[in-house]
Amino acid sequence: MDPMDAIRQTFFQECEEQLAELESGLLAMQGGARDSETVNAVFRAVHSVKGGAGAFGLDDLVRFAHVFETTLEAVRSDQLVADAHVLKVMLRAADVLADLVRASRDGQVLDESHASASATELASLGGPAAGPAIADDADPLASLMFQPMMVEAAPEPDRWIVRFRPRAEMYAKANDAVMLLRELARLGPTSVSLDASDLPDLATLEPEGAYLAWTVQLQTDQPESSIQEVFEFVDCDCDVDIKPADAVMAEEPAAEVDPNADVMALIRSLQAEVAPEPEPAAIPEPILVAVPIPMAAPIAAAAPPPPQVREEAVAPKPTIRVDLDRVDRLIDLVGELVINGAMLTQRVGEAGISRASAVTVALDELEHLTREIQDSVMAIRAQPVKSVFARMPRLAREVAAMTGKQVRLTSEGEATEVDKTVIEHLADPLTHMIRNAIDHGLESPDVRRAAGKPEEGTVKLQALHRSGRIVIEVSDDGAGINRAKVRESAIAKGLVAPDAVLSDEETDNLIFLPGFSTADKVSDISGRGVGMDVVRRSIQALGGRINIASRPGKGSTFTLSLPLTLAVLDGMVVTVAEQTLIVPLTAIIETLQPRAADIHEMGDAARVIAIRGTYLPLIGVGAALGWADPERSVTGGVALLIEGEDGSRAVLLVDAIQGQRQVVIKSLEANYRRVPGVAAATILGDGRVALILDVDAIVSDARGDAPFAETRAELGLAYA
Amino acid sequence: MTKTVLTVDDSRTMRDMLHLALSEAGYRVVQAVDGLDGLEVLKGEKPDVIVTDINMPRMDGFGFIEGVRSDVANRAIPILVLTTESDAAKKTRAREAGATGWIIKPFNPTKLVDALRRVAA
Amino acid sequence: MEQSSDVGITALPPVLDLTAAGPLAADLLGRRGAPLMIDGSGVQRLGAQCLQVLMAAKATWAADGNYFSVEAPSDALTETLAALGAADLVFQSTEENPA
Repeated sequence: MDPMDAIRQTFFQECEEQLAELESGLLAMQGGARDSETVNAVFRAVHSVKGGAGAFGLDDLVRFAHVFETTLEAVRSDQLVADAHVLKVMLRAADVLADLVRASRDGQVLDESHASASATELASLGGPAAGPAIADDADPLASLMFQPMMVEAAPEPDRWIVRFRPRAEMYAKANDAVMLLRELARLGPTSVSLDASDLPDLATLEPEGAYLAWTVQLQTDQPESSIQEVFEFVDCDCDVDIKPADAVMAEEPAAEVDPNADVMALIRSLQAEVAPEPEPAAIPEPILVAVPIPMAAPIAAAAPPPPQVREEAVAPKPTIRVDLDRVDRLIDLVGELVINGAMLTQRVGEAGISRASAVTVALDELEHLTREIQDSVMAIRAQPVKSVFARMPRLAREVAAMTGKQVRLTSEGEATEVDKTVIEHLADPLTHMIRNAIDHGLESPDVRRAAGKPEEGTVKLQALHRSGRIVIEVSDDGAGINRAKVRESAIAKGLVAPDAVLSDEETDNLIFLPGFSTADKVSDISGRGVGMDVVRRSIQALGGRINIASRPGKGSTFTLSLPLTLAVLDGMVVTVAEQTLIVPLTAIIETLQPRAADIHEMGDAARVIAIRGTYLPLIGVGAALGWADPERSVTGGVALLIEGEDGSRAVLLVDAIQGQRQVVIKSLEANYRRVPGVAAATILGDGRVALILDVDAIVSDARGDAPFAETRAELGLAYA
Repeated sequence: MTKTVLTVDDSRTMRDMLHLALSEAGYRVVQAVDGLDGLEVLKGEKPDVIVTDINMPRMDGFGFIEGVRSDVANRAIPILVLTTESDAAKKTRAREAGATGWIIKPFNPTKLVDALRRVAA
Repeated sequence: MEQSSDVGITALPPVLDLTAAGPLAADLLGRRGAPLMIDGSGVQRLGAQCLQVLMAAKATWAADGNYFSVEAPSDALTETLAALGAADLVFQSTEENPA
């Protein structure tokens, strides 16, 4: 890769970090933080984006960042008070900045109006007006060059007399007359004369004082500005006089530029009885300080130098970037190690070796160790939920703006870790839940005021680990679920019977039913025909569950519980037509023994089973997959009451249950191809391949949604 | 003789760009991520030039320059400040702290190497 | 050169930057009152402030009526002195000081 491309990539990665920093800083300020560290961090974030953008010529980005930076500078220098309004404007500006960064990264052209509206808004906050960002920075010398307009007409002279007399301050900053003279010599032939007339005798000389002056005759085809540029760094600490040679000749006697002037000056100074007063020296005599301190060695020994990894010195923990493929390969291998271990244990058992034998004990230890390796490897893929949570404040602002509600989003447990894949799938449901909480949960400011609540509603986002799963809560302090309206709506849509007796909890959970929506009109925010049923489905697709708890007038809390990883699964191992299948445990509500009396035929080979007064479809898994005769007797098997991702329930019929175990998921798509009705595969302890059932596909097939003729043929060939 | 440049910048992008430009120009590059880190590096390195950013966490460029200048051993090292600020106040403050010169961002490699040459031939 | 046993000889350090000016001045002051030959062959870098010290020393030695010379200058020293307009610092004895 071109090194600049690599740096460009780094730049955009860094931008993302800075944008996150910017937003969290602004939110902290909104939360009352006024310390200079927070304000500086916010300023730095924008400044840093601007700096990099300038280097890559991303002018739109530079322009906007510059305006933003100017406002932040006003806050930093106490010229502008960061009140609620100012912070709102700046948060919007942060969003615009983020859009600009991403547009630049992806080479898209962004609608100018967003940026310019936000820039205008920023500028209207007051503080000093932002100067043009591009003009200044593109030609940094422009502001430093004098513009001698009147002289411009005449041809530039080519001979110059440059006189300069450094002050001690110039040397103290590590500038040196030698450098200035060398730079002048680069412009053209020079004749240098040194004026030492102020030099005192050695005893009175301040070693770091400044006593010498130089006169340089320069012949150059460069403009005067080039000569001025030589003195750019020192113009405050050095008297400089630049004149065309003609002018000097006319106004002063030639002796002044006599190359022997310095010798004469030296002689004069030697002849002087009293040395001239030295210039006051700014720097104290350094010799005393240079004496070595005997304590230095023991101190150094007591405090060893830090490790040499300079790059990461700021980060508390060093990190490395690893290709995700490598991690996944490692996870695969560890998965196989687990399977191999299980096979070994099984073989040892079959060989009739005592459970108390040394071999078995060692095997147990090996298994324990293997599990630990597996956990550690899984931990590599774990990431804090912060990356998803960090997107939510912006969303909340946008939804609040569109719905006219006031909202404060707080988050907790951002450092809670979960598998990368889970994180990636979390963004959409979470986005929807936040939208829902603001759009449907929170009341409008005037309603809240009337109810004696603060006008600004609060939505809280929280993540925590609980019994091997990650739990994410989205709670609001809004009106809570309007149960009467929910019930009415569900009845109107035919989702529940008009006379159904529902508990509060059951009523609340109606909102997860497909096709349910309490909003009278489909709003732009929560709408797009998407309801909470979609959220529930996507959570369940991750092996998760979603629950709601609501208190009228106080608000609602949605609780998501998800597995920490998608690479392993808790499954029920069952037998179907002499094949071993895995049913995800999350789908199973309970197991039961079907009685013939509960089973009713419903027309063409469709059967239902009565469970506690409700009739549920009964699906023979073997028949559904085409492995067994559908007419086969149902009694003698085991029934699994399952709940699909859409919340619909059904009963699956299998031949026998072998047990429960955690299995390592192997994608069939990656290793073979996608097979309808089958979610994935795994390898069991005895080395057999077992398929993991796609419960939803089986249930919807049984409803006649998607026939599996093709699958049946396929699996029939493969497994019959 | 290969000259060593210490670059002090909290931005990875900037560090990478400086590294690329300076190593292509034949300099040896040592990096630090902020002012404190820079002072730490100087305990084991004696660079010919220092290039430092101003806005940095923990210790900014001004504090860093003052720190360098207060150490007898490092007082003579030329320090160039990286700045996007074209306003005179920033430069004045950097100069007061003891900066030798500055490089205005965005810089191209030629401008960078030019500035280095001007303070450390 | 019958007085050669009294001639002090010292060598300049390689780096004569601003931090070297103080120690250099102190060192030279300690040698005052005797002829001095300074070896410039090891100099890699010379700043204007050390030039000041050397020039002041040269003038001081001359005022004292003592021999003072900077000899065998390295290429870097020769080049820097020329750039500073101070090439006459070397190879110039003030033994026969016209004053």
